[in-house]
Amino acid sequence: MIELSGITKSFNSGEPNQFTAVDNVSLVVHPQRITVLKGPSGSGKTSLLTMIGCMARPTSGRIFLRGVAAAVPFQQEGMDSVEITSLPERFLNDIRRSTFGFIFQQFNLVKGISVLENVMLPAYPTGERRPDFRARALGLLEQFSISRHAGQRIELLSGGELQRVAIARALINNPAIIIADEPTAHLDSKLSQEFMAIVGRLKGEGKSVLIASHDPIVFDSPLIDRVVEMRDGAVVNSGSSR
Amino acid sequence: MNNSMERHLNILEFTLASLLRRKAKNLSLLAMYLLVVFMLASLLFFVTALKREAAIILNDAPDMIVQRLMAGRQDLVPVDYVAGIAQIKGVTAVRPRLWGYYYDALNGANFTIMAGDDSAAGSGKTAIGSGVAKTRNLMVGDLLPLIGYDKSPVMLEIGTIFPSASDLIAADLIVISPDDFHHLFNFPAGQATDLAVTVRNPKELATVAAKIVSRFPDSRPILKSEIQRTYQSIFDWRGGMMLLVLASSLLSFIIFAWDKATGLSAEERKEIGILKSIGWETSDVLLLKFWEGIVISLTAFLLGTVLAYGHVFFLSAPLFAQALKGWSVLYPHFRLVPVVDVYQLAVLFFLTVVPYTTATIIPCWRAATIDPDAAMRY
Repeated sequence: MIELSGITKSFNSGEPNQFTAVDNVSLVVHPQRITVLKGPSGSGKTSLLTMIGCMARPTSGRIFLRGVAAAVPFQQEGMDSVEITSLPERFLNDIRRSTFGFIFQQFNLVKGISVLENVMLPAYPTGERRPDFRARALGLLEQFSISRHAGQRIELLSGGELQRVAIARALINNPAIIIADEPTAHLDSKLSQEFMAIVGRLKGEGKSVLIASHDPIVFDSPLIDRVVEMRDGAVVNSGSSR
Repeated sequence: MNNSMERHLNILEFTLASLLRRKAKNLSLLAMYLLVVFMLASLLFFVTALKREAAIILNDAPDMIVQRLMAGRQDLVPVDYVAGIAQIKGVTAVRPRLWGYYYDALNGANFTIMAGDDSAAGSGKTAIGSGVAKTRNLMVGDLLPLIGYDKSPVMLEIGTIFPSASDLIAADLIVISPDDFHHLFNFPAGQATDLAVTVRNPKELATVAAKIVSRFPDSRPILKSEIQRTYQSIFDWRGGMMLLVLASSLLSFIIFAWDKATGLSAEERKEIGILKSIGWETSDVLLLKFWEGIVISLTAFLLGTVLAYGHVFFLSAPLFAQALKGWSVLYPHFRLVPVVDVYQLAVLFFLTVVPYTTATIIPCWRAATIDPDAAMRY
């Protein structure tokens, strides 16, 4: 479970051009569910995702990870809870690597290297044996029906295939939570539907999925457990579980 | 294998894959880097080997050479001095030497002519260096025509051609008998070019030299150690001149390498952002860049050094020979004995590998310390 308490993110604090991207958001994201952050551009969805995913720190407020075996040497508030906003950078990296898998709007795959290498990329610095994570990567490519492209460079792949490579990469370190930022922004309707089917499968495997999107195919999908509506940095409708 | 080792290996593997992506850029960089290391290492090997060669040759040189000065210039030494010097305590032998230079207008070459006592150069006979033989296209038994001081021809029969192994000292040498020497140059009897003095105890050389000067105030004793020092300086100076010539290419390389190493393209910046966003730490990114720098610079260093070794010690440094050996027309052909100065090699290593690797890492430092969420905004 992810618990956000009074999260605010401001940019250029104290300057005339100060801008508050996320304004006092409190929210509980339940495990093994699919939660969608819905809202127009600039509503603060991506900023909120980056803070949950340990990529950025909030200006104020606290974020707790509960029931997640995060890779930190100590845990607070009970045996299975970590308050991530106050952790040093080193621990945030460990948590980001082991707990979260990211799917970006632009896929953010590295050009020039093979599909397989792209999928293995998050596992390189973990110190795990290469044959182990290589086998896992091949398994993921098989699972997403793109194993025939394993040795190809990603430039040669179609949009849907790129999406699946990005999903496989997000899963390589076997994270408990998948974070996807506008994952269907560059996909047509059919591919978007396919993506949602994959997300449904991930949920079935026990993953928690958190998606930021303003695509109706995503937030109207019957697979979605909860839709949280945001506008101007604030939660306007925290949505009940379906 | 522990985790840290696996991490290094994994990142190194990705580094290699990463380098191969920008083949053209990295290969051109490697080629230039290689060329610079090759030139510098060749110069280093060549000068070191030449200095050692000179030192070995000078080991056989007389302990001391005594010249005579007249009006501040070197003049002929009266042979009478021999007896006077031989009487000085500690002196074991004094030998008058007759030698000079002969300008061969035919080839524009300057030969060194020396009067020798050995049988190879009896009266009317001569022993010549292989350089002379090659220039004049001569073989043993042929006649070597020289032009005397009065323009009259002096014909000498070639008894010996010095082997190529002695080329460094003998390439331009013509050894003739003392009689022929006097005749060729109209060299006055009872005079010598200089005197070669042998002293029993090397520690007494300075004392003996002082005694010679006090006995013969117009003499100038030159110790072997002084000649050795001069040779070392000459080769150092030649090496320095060569380095100066190379300086412009070196400078261009430094600018080129600096630009390549420090300039992060937008794509590289984005890649660093991606790596950070998928869980790479700043230290992982820096490790990646460190390996990138090491792979390029170490490959260039090792390959450049090995090629330079082959160039100098197997091919006799054809690229530098003319500038460094010092013969004007008769370039001696000889193979240098391999000698590697580990200290100099270490300096070369620290001057090439370390700055490049550092220059690769530093710009990434800033890019790698960006917040990983930057990747979300691309």
